[in-house]
Amino acid sequence: MKGKKMMEQYGNGLALAEKHYSQYGSRAKALKAEGRKVIGYLSALAPVEIITAAGIIPLRLKGNVSEAITKADAHMETIVCPFIRNVFDTALKGKYDFLDGMVLPHQCDSIDRTNDVWSYNLNLPYWHFLNFPHLTDDPSIEFTKSILRIFIDTLEKYTGNAITDEALVQAVKAHNENRRVMRELYSLRKADYPLISGAEMMKVLVAAMSLPVEESSALIGDVIKEVKLRGVPNGTSLSRIMLIGDQIDDVAIVETIESAGANLVMDDLSIGSKMYWADVDITPDPVQGIAERYLKKLKLPTTCITAGNNYQENLEARFGHIKQNIKDFKVDGVVLFIYKFCDPYGFEVPAMKSFIETAGVPVLYLEDEYSSSTLPRMKTRVEAFLEMIA
Amino acid sequence: MADDKKPRALATQAAAKIPKFVRGNMSATLKAKEEGKKVAYAYINDGQDEIMRAMDIVPAWGESFSGVCAAKRDAEQYLQKAESDNFSRSLCTYATCTLGFDMLREEMGGEMPPGAPWGGMGRPDMIIGSGQQLCDPRFKWPQATQHYLQDVPVFVGSMYYPPWDPNMDHKGQEKIYVKYATEELRACVSFCEKHIGKKMDWDKLAALVDLTDRTWDIFIDTYELRKAIPTPMDTGDAMNTMVPLTFNLGTQEAYDFYADLNLELRQKIEQKQGVADEEKYRILWGAGLPSWFALGDFQYFNSKGAVFPVETTYRNAEKVERLNLPKTNDPLEHIAWRWVRFWTHWYDKARNRPGSIPKVERIIEYIEDYKCDGVVFHSAFSCRSWHAGIVQQAEILRKIYKDIPVLIMEGDIVDISSYNEADTHNRIDAFIEALETVRSKGN
Repeated sequence: MKGKKMMEQYGNGLALAEKHYSQYGSRAKALKAEGRKVIGYLSALAPVEIITAAGIIPLRLKGNVSEAITKADAHMETIVCPFIRNVFDTALKGKYDFLDGMVLPHQCDSIDRTNDVWSYNLNLPYWHFLNFPHLTDDPSIEFTKSILRIFIDTLEKYTGNAITDEALVQAVKAHNENRRVMRELYSLRKADYPLISGAEMMKVLVAAMSLPVEESSALIGDVIKEVKLRGVPNGTSLSRIMLIGDQIDDVAIVETIESAGANLVMDDLSIGSKMYWADVDITPDPVQGIAERYLKKLKLPTTCITAGNNYQENLEARFGHIKQNIKDFKVDGVVLFIYKFCDPYGFEVPAMKSFIETAGVPVLYLEDEYSSSTLPRMKTRVEAFLEMIA
Repeated sequence: MADDKKPRALATQAAAKIPKFVRGNMSATLKAKEEGKKVAYAYINDGQDEIMRAMDIVPAWGESFSGVCAAKRDAEQYLQKAESDNFSRSLCTYATCTLGFDMLREEMGGEMPPGAPWGGMGRPDMIIGSGQQLCDPRFKWPQATQHYLQDVPVFVGSMYYPPWDPNMDHKGQEKIYVKYATEELRACVSFCEKHIGKKMDWDKLAALVDLTDRTWDIFIDTYELRKAIPTPMDTGDAMNTMVPLTFNLGTQEAYDFYADLNLELRQKIEQKQGVADEEKYRILWGAGLPSWFALGDFQYFNSKGAVFPVETTYRNAEKVERLNLPKTNDPLEHIAWRWVRFWTHWYDKARNRPGSIPKVERIIEYIEDYKCDGVVFHSAFSCRSWHAGIVQQAEILRKIYKDIPVLIMEGDIVDISSYNEADTHNRIDAFIEALETVRSKGN
């Protein structure tokens, strides 16, 4: 396997993760040069199994928090999610020129209302807006199956090859395995002295979403082997923090937390545990399992979970997994980091914050940009929070 | 004080009747509580209007309440209250305004907060949302409200439309969307039946669906009278006369209102009564919700001889015959077809003009039909739904149509802290100069 050879070339998993983190997308670009097709996607809602089954490399898009937005503002309003604007700016600057196409799942208004802006300005050979609904009831599952089949149809037309059920099942298995190994890596953070730091984990998470699925799993497996060889560190244990948010994909925020004297031991991020906790069930119709995973199992604020016979039960259905992870990973405090102009996450803040606090865990709520320029002011608040919970 | 503000001049008698409509809708929620009727928090363009009306559920419209608070420049206390519980100022201020109001009312044990505009809204017995493509607050606002009204049951339905893709014919997808929307409307009926304790009267619903079709038709017929030169009514009034279509759909009052407006506009056209003393420039309100606290800006335009004979905002209806709806005996399916086809109405036109998009096609159609000289957009910082993509629309318009003067105003719908009157008027002045320059060049 080419990916395996590459890892041997670079020596170990963490070093390779560092490389793919700092040279984001380089592997997809290299594969493109070898004749493979690469499709970029936004958000945890993109059904990567279908892209993989089409024989295409899925590359999750990220921006650059250290890069000022200089081109996007000419086409996209500043009231749009700062992450979306930054990724669009990055794409306009040519970072993703090697892509054959993009998939924009309907996650929120910032994506829905700028789909035209992206497609018009980037003008890639393949484009698809995947119109995910916000509900999770039975009619919504049936609807989702229909729009997934439309997506499959467009990919088949684009590649000229049929996407068979067998190919879908194989892709589902490969991505489930990817999730399994990542969960195994997460479990190494449960110990009093986590075997992998939050900063290292962030780099692995980012690297993992930039690779073909088998290479991604191999990378994670190598990281597991490597960190298991580490001895238990000396010293006192630090406050254990969970980070909640959507696409936080840069190590700067994690370093801000950890440099203030804490360990980031768990997350509820859309590039992190949100992605890896839920598998696709192998169902007679593979599209059924995919639809159920993305609509029902992913705990994103952009889906409207109405389960429960009363409000408390509804909160459990929406946020119970967070409370469970707080328990499993022995979390002392939560940093809830929400991007400005985000209605889906923003409207949940009071409910989520009070729900978590009922578990006796304090929450620091921060609203900020997708930019390292605002980190100094955030650092002060994080330090004060850590002092409070120490 | 808000109530001391000089009322804005209106061009039509119909628009002057609107405060009574709005006040009536709000007081209906209070009266319903006294009479034991059920009140539901509802959200505009939900597709559920006829269901609520057929079941005698009294809708309490959050957007309307927030708009009134903003117009009376009395929203700040509610925005601050919401902010105190970590609702960001960058969120939809229609939502955060009512959330702040709900928080205050609950703190007062259900009593109306003192000074609530026009008596305030009644406490709901249920919340009926619609997780649709109109905006994210469709489904997040009901959830957020329930955090403060925990005993109030919430229903959220769905109503989507096929996405625009120049390379894909949407017609093949419409049936999927209509089937889904119909099932969600049926779920809405079941929810209402459960919580009001009676079954739907399907004949009544069918009659109300028919009434809505006729209301859409007369609304469009009436608004198209504004093509006349000089125009007898502009967007300044339309931001008022949208109320029956938006908040009273499925009622005879809404239909009668547009019938009366139709007569009034015909009389004005006959008498050549225009909005401005001298109509020099005709402008399209291209997109965006207005700043409800600054509707006087329309008069500022008028004072410069600029009128708005047409707008895209709140014109959420189309002549039913133009939508070419498939026949069905199911009133819910008819509602679904009506809305899905409304959203896809400009798709074919856009497909026929390379590089275009439906929203721009709509703008071009209105520019030509209403003989407009320029386009004004309003970008409200707290709302992505209507206000993201405006820059792109202006860019495409100039590229595929012509280099027409465009003004993008910036502000908000409810939060007055975003507004600077002097700066806004300066920008309007510059835009008027641009219109004049184009005219002097003979374009």
